[in-house]
Amino acid sequence: MSATPRNLLPLLVLPAVAVNLFTFLWPMLNLAGLSFREGLPGGGIGAAFSLATWGDLLADEFYLEILLRSVGMALGITGLALLASYPIAFFVHRADARWRNLLVVACISPLLISAVVRTYGWLVILGDAGFLPVILRGLGFAPPRLVFNMTGVVIGLVEILMPYMILSLLAGFGRLNQTLEEAAASLGAPPLVVFWRIVLPLTLPGILLGCLLVFVLTVSSFITPKLLGGGRVLLLATEIYDQAIVTLNWPLAAALSLIALGVFGAALLVYGRISRAAERSIA
Amino acid sequence: MIRSGPGRLFFTVLVALLFLFLLGPVLLVFPLSFAADSVITWPPSGFSVKWYLALLGQPDLALALRNSLVLAAIVTGLALVVALPAAVAIGRGQFAGRDALMTLISMPLLLPTIVLGLALLILFVGQGLIGSWTGLVLAHLLVTVPYALRVLVTALGTLPASVEEAASSLGAPALSVFFRITLPLMAPGLIAAAAIVFLVSFDEVVITLFIVGPKLTTLPVALFHYVESRTDPLVAAVSVLMVLFSLGLVAVLERAVGLRRAVGGKGG
Amino acid sequence: MTQAAPGTAPHLLLDRLEKRFGTTLAVQALSLSVGRGELLGLLGPSGCGKTTTLRMIGGLMPASGGRIVVAGRDVTALPPHRRDMGIVFQNYALFPHMTVAQNLSFGLEMRKVPAAERAARVQKALEMVRLGAFAARRPRELSGGQQQRVALARALVIEPSILLLDEPLSNLDANLREEMRNEIRDIQQRLGITAVFVTHDQAEALAICDRIAVMRGGVLEQLGTPYEIYERPASEFVAGFVGRANRMAAVREASGAVQLGPLRLQGSGEAAPGPVTVMIRPHRIALCDAVPEGEGWNGATGRVARSTFIGDLLSLEVEIGGASLLVEQHTFAGRAMPRPGEAATLRWRAEDTLVFPRSAAA
Repeated sequence: MSATPRNLLPLLVLPAVAVNLFTFLWPMLNLAGLSFREGLPGGGIGAAFSLATWGDLLADEFYLEILLRSVGMALGITGLALLASYPIAFFVHRADARWRNLLVVACISPLLISAVVRTYGWLVILGDAGFLPVILRGLGFAPPRLVFNMTGVVIGLVEILMPYMILSLLAGFGRLNQTLEEAAASLGAPPLVVFWRIVLPLTLPGILLGCLLVFVLTVSSFITPKLLGGGRVLLLATEIYDQAIVTLNWPLAAALSLIALGVFGAALLVYGRISRAAERSIA
Repeated sequence: MIRSGPGRLFFTVLVALLFLFLLGPVLLVFPLSFAADSVITWPPSGFSVKWYLALLGQPDLALALRNSLVLAAIVTGLALVVALPAAVAIGRGQFAGRDALMTLISMPLLLPTIVLGLALLILFVGQGLIGSWTGLVLAHLLVTVPYALRVLVTALGTLPASVEEAASSLGAPALSVFFRITLPLMAPGLIAAAAIVFLVSFDEVVITLFIVGPKLTTLPVALFHYVESRTDPLVAAVSVLMVLFSLGLVAVLERAVGLRRAVGGKGG
Repeated sequence: MTQAAPGTAPHLLLDRLEKRFGTTLAVQALSLSVGRGELLGLLGPSGCGKTTTLRMIGGLMPASGGRIVVAGRDVTALPPHRRDMGIVFQNYALFPHMTVAQNLSFGLEMRKVPAAERAARVQKALEMVRLGAFAARRPRELSGGQQQRVALARALVIEPSILLLDEPLSNLDANLREEMRNEIRDIQQRLGITAVFVTHDQAEALAICDRIAVMRGGVLEQLGTPYEIYERPASEFVAGFVGRANRMAAVREASGAVQLGPLRLQGSGEAAPGPVTVMIRPHRIALCDAVPEGEGWNGATGRVARSTFIGDLLSLEVEIGGASLLVEQHTFAGRAMPRPGEAATLRWRAEDTLVFPRSAAA
């Protein structure tokens, strides 16, 4: 290539940067600024700088409760998704090459289906006249209510976020090599010890990545809590939506958004810490 | 190490149940869409295609579907036009800040869509973009350009630069090298990027919720509002069509480039 | 063939061992025994069942039939972690998340060896493989040869009853391979440990094994000392696989003489009259002045088709009748180099003329 195009090459990123500036940086900065205004009744916004929104937010225990519920639920869902995904990922990793591709596609394909459709699928299964309660009643149990409460939201989100966990775990399993397990067994380690001392430490990076992904995706999930929670499970994301669309208190919605970003930041920090420590002990 | 015996059987059964859990919601929608009942009932009292026929009497959903398809098509074209030059610059250029640039452009994927949607809503209200095609296209570019860029940079990375060097050593000027050599070789990556952008745009719902207006909505948003108010097998019929559409697109993608490569999963 | 090497007590016994994958038999009715302190080589081309056999001995793969007996005890049904065998894997299989010392210590922990004794034994084992200063390193910080020695030390530190080596040298480059095979042999003899060594490299097997089991298609072709395998191969396959050989179709007459084109040869081997294969090793053929007469010698005159000087060797292709013989001679200063087109007279001993029944597969 001649000299001129080489020098002009960086200019080619300009359209992408322009899109980013207009649809990301500017709106986000604008959003952050808005949290320092006051929301007026009827959807108006005060013109002057104000800490009133933050003051109200921090003084109201209701929002602390929402924050704790969101984080707690995200932690629980992360744990459950890990428990449900690890066996699948392990199985897929061990499958014959010709089955493995098919199984990986089966694990990924839910990602390509709208969250609305998948959540609707859970309404069909968990709803009062749904698949599961009907079966349970047929077996003589009196099933508890499974939708429009936390139970439904947790079940739905675990399933909907599992593909991310499975993919992360599979990426982490790349370090695993069956001869390592054979070597450990030949040195006298029974199967559980092999798992605990060899398999688990080597797959830890994948586990951590999957947990980070599922955690942040849970915190930001909106469709599933809204539909399966039926408006009765109040979380950060649903509250942001309600404040923005129903109550029309945009400064409050903006402040809540920043708190959600804060949770993201904290999650990233914790992840960085743990994974660096894990990396050090692993490689 | 699960070698044999009851441990292995238990593990296999466990994995089968977990797969059932993972795929159940999508699978159960199929029989339900053929239910003859007017509300969700298990087991369905009979089977019919009445809910598929009922779709024909839903002009709102039909319009939303049309909007979604048109929007996804526009967004696919624009996202590639924006991302391809950027991918070439990042994949072939030698300038400081390439990583930072990649991070900045990927950033929207790392943040909660609800926050992105709110931020766009607040900004777009002032610009008169709410409920407009321009607003929807911009909002979808926000979340599709990062995917397109990533796939294209990966595709470019797997092309040996020596092929391009060979072409220019044979006397081809830079633009000819790009259009005669690089672009044709990137075809699988372009197809993958287009398919992923199309799917992401077609399925996008949270950000879109904030941008749609009373006269302009998309299929996922219309479905969301429908499911919010009632659950009848009509949505199952729509869902089946959407699932089949998505799987069809995935099959095309798999044909063209291999799904695992397209989503950036580890091979082998 | 199930007798142990003379003068030693049988330590490992394989009794009609068998492995089926679906309908294919990877290992068929394999019976052999290894004496205490003996190094047995399992030699064969890839797919001959040698690694499968090793994995069955180590318990990494269940046997489909037959028994594995160690010191009189049937271990066929035992899982690998209860077999007490040290295995050195082809890719070393060092635990990447542990230091060298932790890798060695792992097997001792499994045996509940107290910490202080563990440390001492680990250090001693590392010194045995000349890696005493590398205890705190990670495996990926070591060279291939060092990793190989760690793998060996890890397998030996637990003082296993039997040491299994699965192509341990195949990932090393040629110089290092020779050095390591001697080191493995030295350590094995110093410790007097019973060992089974899988390899596809005949030179490696000849160099260090007490006895070699040559396998082909899941079947034991020949079991014997390196000398027996090389000088008295039991089959055309063994003769061709171990060392190089000229291979020619011929006919054996009722008298025992072999007609090879226009040549009439004396040969060794039990092949019955009829179509046979004659094999002669290139370096056992000598250039001479006249075709030798008399018992014990074969000879022929031909024309040099190609002459190649390879430093220590002179390699000739000599055409005799319709056949082309490869001849190798050691070089020395002053030796004449035959040129293409010149006549050459060759001789070789009758016992170097190996005669086998003609096999369909060969």
